[in-house]
Amino acid sequence: MYLKAEFREKETAARAILGLKANGFGPDALDVFSNEPVEFADGVLDRPSRMSLVVVASALTFCMLAILFVRYTQYDYPLVTGGMPLFSFWSTGVVFYELTMLGAILSASAWFLWESGLVRRRGSAPVPAVEPGVICLRVRCEEEQTQLASRQLEQAGATRVTKL
Amino acid sequence: MNNAAQDVRRDLWRPLQGVSWRYLAVILPLSLVTLWGLIAWGYQLHHGIGVAGIRRPVFWGFYLVDFVFWIGISHAGTLISAILRLTDAEWRKPVTRAAEAITVFALMIGGMFPIVHLGRAWIFYWLVPYPNSRLLWPNFRSPLVWDLTAISTYLIGSTIFLFLPLIPDVAQLAKHTTGWRRWLYRRLALGWTGSDREWHALERAMKLMAGIILAVAVSVHTVVAWDFSMAVAPMWHSTIFGPYFVAGAIFSGIAALIIAMAVIRKTMRLEQYLTPHHFNNLAKLLLLMSLLWTYFTVAENLTAWYGNEPKEMAVFGARARGVYAPYFWTMVVCNFFVPFVLLGIKKLRSIKTALIASVTVLIGMWLERYIIIIPTLSRPRLTAAWGSYAPSWVEISITVATFTTMVVLYLSFAKLFPIISIWEFKPHDRVSES
Repeated sequence: MYLKAEFREKETAARAILGLKANGFGPDALDVFSNEPVEFADGVLDRPSRMSLVVVASALTFCMLAILFVRYTQYDYPLVTGGMPLFSFWSTGVVFYELTMLGAILSASAWFLWESGLVRRRGSAPVPAVEPGVICLRVRCEEEQTQLASRQLEQAGATRVTKL
Repeated sequence: MNNAAQDVRRDLWRPLQGVSWRYLAVILPLSLVTLWGLIAWGYQLHHGIGVAGIRRPVFWGFYLVDFVFWIGISHAGTLISAILRLTDAEWRKPVTRAAEAITVFALMIGGMFPIVHLGRAWIFYWLVPYPNSRLLWPNFRSPLVWDLTAISTYLIGSTIFLFLPLIPDVAQLAKHTTGWRRWLYRRLALGWTGSDREWHALERAMKLMAGIILAVAVSVHTVVAWDFSMAVAPMWHSTIFGPYFVAGAIFSGIAALIIAMAVIRKTMRLEQYLTPHHFNNLAKLLLLMSLLWTYFTVAENLTAWYGNEPKEMAVFGARARGVYAPYFWTMVVCNFFVPFVLLGIKKLRSIKTALIASVTVLIGMWLERYIIIIPTLSRPRLTAAWGSYAPSWVEISITVATFTTMVVLYLSFAKLFPIISIWEFKPHDRVSES
């Protein structure tokens, strides 16, 4: 089951998250919903990401593919050249560079869609309606944990705690 | 509900509601001019490229001037937005989307010109890395293939850079609209819920994209500059052309952004959000770029004049005191004297003077592209091959139509989407700070 708590300030929301974590609620059980990004201090609700790594790896992959593609076209002319390429490899640097960047751009946007969960199949978790200026904390908990979680949320400063 | 957040939303959603007569009175005549431009292009497609004024020795006329100009304007958004985003400049928030939209539309227009210039536009795909009918791959050394890869990458990147921060806003709009708008916003929102995972991913992606797009933007205008400097032609074969073009592009981009912001501020009643503070900061940036552009222009022309190489002097003479002198000196006045006086003197600096300076800078930068391209082509190394260039009605019509197309596209975008990013105002921070 899910609890929904509303907060007016990010400090109170952060306090609630830290309190819940101290009582055994993992980061996977907690989700913050808002109409604007809420920036908590480090250690409150960190979401590790591999986006930078993926972007660099994709950029290098695109670069290698571009080099192979240009290399292939250099020899694929139906002209007899005695095995020599038709043009200098280095003058194609712009093409490699742009395709490397294209790889980075495409992978950044694809990884954003994946990491944000927008393209993944959604579970049955209910999404709370959020009003402007309000921070909503959704807590996944077992039936017997409900009281503990509610008390923790109210103590931290939640203006309203409801079951979703 | 937080009142501040509610007010921001109400103010920024207001321009999306309804279509006023004033809006139609602007859009309809401009659309007619755009239509006229399309008719002119159709005429050229039917009768051939001969209907344009380009002929020996000037094979690059208005179309290439327009191409370089619009690619330059495209640096308004992504580059400025990316720099301000990476440096965490707080004042950028109401400016970024207006700037990013300019980039996408200017690139669409600019990227069209090589195709218009081809004459036989229907075989444009020969530029794509795909073997032609004689089984020959395109020449990867050709700057035209470089342009294709650079501009395509920049257009894809800029569109994504504009779209990503739009997702949270369209998700909100989807909840509060009906009919076709709701249908459109829901699809564009991609199921955005506003969870912290989504916000984290978005902010991370935007930071990375800002860095990547910065590198692409610089490369795009450098590649455009190399279209010229790779040719061993007088006044083109210059090592500073890359940075000179990039500086000029940012310069004209900021001018375009100031004009767009001034128009939006007035017509959409966003005075509270686009304040004199924003214009003051952009005006200072414009002044800085004006000085940088002047430095490059002096460096470029002084070295040619001091070197006194006959072929270069023929072009330099045509520019500075010959047939192209009126354009050259108008460019200097527009790009240096007007911004220097209006924006350099603090007492004179205001929204109105920033707007005037921006308009003159755009005129000056278009003339700069003209001055770079036409004199060199009309004064080739062989004196007997000298010629002149006069644009035809087709070229003039298409050129004028690009400006009206830009306004039509921009105003249509501003009617469909909030031109200021609502979520970036972060009312939570304001509450905490207060």
